[in-house]
Amino acid sequence: MWYFIFRRTAGFVATLFVVSAVVFAVMNILPGDPALTILGLDATDDALAALREQLGLNQPVLARYVSWIWNALQGDFGISHSFRVPVSELIAERLPMTVSLAVAGMIFTLVIALSLGIGAAARHRKVGDWGVMFISQIGIAVPAFWLSMLLVLLFAVKLRWLPPGGFAGWSDPVAAMRSLVLPTIALGVVQSAVLARVTRSSALEVMRQDFVRTARASGLSRRRVLWRHVLPNALVPIVTIVGMQFAALVTGTIVIENVFYLPGLGRLIFQSISNRDLPTVQALVMLFAAIVVTANFVVDLLYVVIDPRLKART
Amino acid sequence: MFQLADFSVSFGTATALRRATLDIRQGDRLGIVGESGSGKTMLALALMGMAPDAATISGRLTIDGHDMTHATEATWQQMRARRVAMIFQEPMSALNPLRRIGDTVMEPLIVHEGLSRAQAQARVLALLEEVGIPDPAARLRMFPHELSGGQRQRVLIALALACNPALLIADEPTTALDANVALRITDLLVRLAQERGMALVFITHDLAAVARTTKDIVVMYGGDMIERGPTAQVLSAPAHPYTQGLLAARPDPTVPPRDATGKRRRLPTLPGTVPPLAALPQGCRFSGRCSVELPQCAGTRPTDHALDADRSAACHLLGATP
Repeated sequence: MWYFIFRRTAGFVATLFVVSAVVFAVMNILPGDPALTILGLDATDDALAALREQLGLNQPVLARYVSWIWNALQGDFGISHSFRVPVSELIAERLPMTVSLAVAGMIFTLVIALSLGIGAAARHRKVGDWGVMFISQIGIAVPAFWLSMLLVLLFAVKLRWLPPGGFAGWSDPVAAMRSLVLPTIALGVVQSAVLARVTRSSALEVMRQDFVRTARASGLSRRRVLWRHVLPNALVPIVTIVGMQFAALVTGTIVIENVFYLPGLGRLIFQSISNRDLPTVQALVMLFAAIVVTANFVVDLLYVVIDPRLKART
Repeated sequence: MFQLADFSVSFGTATALRRATLDIRQGDRLGIVGESGSGKTMLALALMGMAPDAATISGRLTIDGHDMTHATEATWQQMRARRVAMIFQEPMSALNPLRRIGDTVMEPLIVHEGLSRAQAQARVLALLEEVGIPDPAARLRMFPHELSGGQRQRVLIALALACNPALLIADEPTTALDANVALRITDLLVRLAQERGMALVFITHDLAAVARTTKDIVVMYGGDMIERGPTAQVLSAPAHPYTQGLLAARPDPTVPPRDATGKRRRLPTLPGTVPPLAALPQGCRFSGRCSVELPQCAGTRPTDHALDADRSAACHLLGATP
């Protein structure tokens, strides 16, 4: 087991390095001169040359990559060209927003998907099952940005139950949660529809196995058999999908934050791209990629926690 | 305690169990013998209230005098484990792979008898000891994949016995095991039934095992109970042509495998295979494969003919020649 964890950890670190190289390379291939962007079209050649020197743009690519990585490892992502403050400060300021949204979306997804999926499996080929399959099909087909607009129109503009957008931080928890409701639904609907289907089919698979019959023969209620025996055994495929979905949720915040005017990383990356703010974009892309890779890493480790047989085999 | 009267289980037009009649009393050890598809597992599932949802049930099933024919799932949950328990044929897959043995065996005790974990654990240790698992305290924390097939079947027996059922149904409990392990498991079942005064229904196609284990047997074919009586008598003097054929198909260790001319002897076999449920003859289920064919065989279901005080067989031949 320790060898398995060591191997996965090594793979995780290696992947992060490859990702950083790709991100850096892509950012440097992109056309556009950062110095020109900062100083504007009227800048003199001398001023541009001086700024390039100051930003280290004249150094060889490899040297710039190494110094970027080295500084990044110490939490220094450089200075934002457009905001004129350290990128790390920008990220620290907006991270709680995005994390709150992603975590809320994940919780929403898990609660909705597991109860619908297990419920549908329990009512296999009955009305409840068809209902869940039908609703989840619609959920998968609806684009998040369009759903966001509909939600705002109905619950914020027409009914005035919830704010249409914005987020004032966690100092007022009730207001914070109220402003998270619509974005969370918009973010989570597609994912929970997908996960509900995976949960259903995985649970149906498990329900055919002999030990489920043993559990029923022990006089356990259907509900207990489903949640205590079927669900844990159905978890491996579910966790695989959840890992991918967490990544999708984090990147999904980019769209949702822009629709709902939420001051998070998604909005920041959008603004930075418009402003050609290279250090910020580079840091954010790296950060999003790292979150995705980390989610997959955590899933790999979770397999061993879920299934004791893997512990013996690996 | 357990009574079936004219009990049938069918799926649309296909009948998996036809007008079964059975009376199981305390201390009985009953063998149910038949080929795959003879309805013996359906009989076991019916006694557990676990017939598939799609099945139509008719007739009457009573447990301790209560009519359970169309009992609700909640009522059955009260019966299972406490009045009737069952062990299945595949010990490798019949245990939840993600649970420790102790937690699995403990669960019905906690759910049905409201024991605390500590109380339940003490009971589980005693149970594992009783079914012959060495070093039960260490086994408690193991997962199913860490045990052998025979050990797993013992754990399943412990699980079935946890709430002291009055009847234990063993559905081919030894099919998946090595011969010597199988022998020890059947002996264990008999010992447990005797010690606990528990009725045992032993479902198998292994005639040697049934001879060793049971006092009475019921022979099944195509969903019908075609012959019944004390095990020794039925096996030594079978009355139904199907039972005769079944017994003739047993290898006889005293007959050398090659005859005088050096040719390999073939075991006598029953011609043909069991037809699918929907294609079974309406009359005697065995007609068409039987060595004797009377005019009424295919169309009329033979009734039980008493051969003795406690022996009977359902065959038209017996009615024709009293």
